[in-house]
Amino acid sequence: MTATPTRRDRPLLVSSSKRSRPGDVWRYREFLRSLVVRNLKVKYQRSVLGFVWTLLNPMLTIGVLTLVFTYFIKIKVEHYWAFVFSGYFVWNFMLQMLSSATYTLAEHASLRRSVAFPSEVLVLATAASRLVEFAVEMAIAVLLLVFAHHHGVPASFILLPWLIAIQVLLAIGLAMPIATLSVFYSDVQHAMPILLLMLFYLSPVFYPATLVPDTLRPFYFLNPIAGLLTLFHDVLYSGQWPSATLLAAVTLAAIGSCAIGYLIFNRYKVLFAEIV
Amino acid sequence: MPKSSELQPAFAVACRGVTKRFYHYDHRTTSLRERFIRTVLRRPIHIRHARFSLENFNLEVAEGESVALVGANGSGKSTALRLIAGIYPPSEGVVETCGRIAAIIELGVGFNPELTGEENVQIYAAVMGLSRREVASRFDEIVAFADLGDFIREPVKYYSSGMQARLAFSVVVCIEPDILLVDEVLAVGDEEFRQRCEQRLARFRENGGTMIVVTHDLDSVTRLCSRAIWLDDGRIRADGPAAGVVEAYRVG
Repeated sequence: MTATPTRRDRPLLVSSSKRSRPGDVWRYREFLRSLVVRNLKVKYQRSVLGFVWTLLNPMLTIGVLTLVFTYFIKIKVEHYWAFVFSGYFVWNFMLQMLSSATYTLAEHASLRRSVAFPSEVLVLATAASRLVEFAVEMAIAVLLLVFAHHHGVPASFILLPWLIAIQVLLAIGLAMPIATLSVFYSDVQHAMPILLLMLFYLSPVFYPATLVPDTLRPFYFLNPIAGLLTLFHDVLYSGQWPSATLLAAVTLAAIGSCAIGYLIFNRYKVLFAEIV
Repeated sequence: MPKSSELQPAFAVACRGVTKRFYHYDHRTTSLRERFIRTVLRRPIHIRHARFSLENFNLEVAEGESVALVGANGSGKSTALRLIAGIYPPSEGVVETCGRIAAIIELGVGFNPELTGEENVQIYAAVMGLSRREVASRFDEIVAFADLGDFIREPVKYYSSGMQARLAFSVVVCIEPDILLVDEVLAVGDEEFRQRCEQRLARFRENGGTMIVVTHDLDSVTRLCSRAIWLDDGRIRADGPAAGVVEAYRVG
């Protein structure tokens, strides 16, 4: 179909007041793309150094963590900097997704009030924009690990796309309910920083999960981010194949949380309009 | 879903038994902490009463018809339009539409002040559901219609509100939807622009497009529309040829 169909030729599009399906998001893929382009443009076009600033924050944190846990509190991890690099950007991605979930719907409130579009596009746009930045960050991390840590490319690196896919699914799955809750309750936005700080300590971001005592480990790994980060550590830092059980478990958790998160979002989406 | 080879339904827009309820809160719990406390103390979480914006609203608009919704403020006109646009679902009843809808409800709300006019056109067109190819093919037309000259390449934060309104209107008008919904924003821009808009809307109707407008400008109703509906306090009070309904509304 090259020419725009005339009004009579267009296929019927009878829509009823049913809840939207995932297919609706596909129809709005151009809007999703525009939002991502807009997010990136607004962030980078005004500053000359642009992406360097975005990189500076995680790099500084990694630097401080490396300093503290190599020289002050001596965690017994060889090449500690490599360990931190293998997981930190993943954590950063999750952190930003969960934070932005608390305000992205409110930010676009006027748009939601006057144009009909599936609101989940807003959450997906945040994920896609962050993914672009994450890809660059990860490329740097991988290069550093290849040249300064492994001196070669371990075969396990091939799992990286799969891990990133799990990461994105999990992030979306966690962000959707948080976004929903944030529409109705204003204190979610305020509680988030504290919760995220606790999550930071309860996830293997700056220490390996092996430090967790065996008795506590089952509870520790109830946190899906713990499993996700451990996978990244195995693949990127250790250069080994991760445990198949862990990989399967985290994959299932990611898919499950995405499905459940989506369901919750869709269920309460119709009530969003009442909160103005 | 019926195939396009079968008979098209007779309507472009149909509302059947549509009721829309909004809640007015005497108290609304907006924090999780408060909600928890109230649950423990067995107090009500929200205290609210329902207010009906629309009651038993039945409407059928045929393809190519142009309808005006008139009525006092708060009579439910904007609610009706938003229900048809799909911004929220009805509390009861069904809204059915056939074809692509473009609605102008609040102008320029999709605009990001840091981006240029051109960039905002892309986003605004995309949020209306256009594909990349459609946005590209309509882009020049939109820019030409807005007639903002070199300003189109300036960030929108430097625009006056009139210019922003013109840009928003241009995007919607040039999208060429099957169904166009306009909510009280026809009085936009200067006289020259307003005339161009009315010409464009007339052309839209000639091409067989369906149009539903909400307006207070009763003179424009008879100019733009063939049919008018008078909404009073959420119910339809009159529905018929534009001139007659406008007269009744003026008198009543």
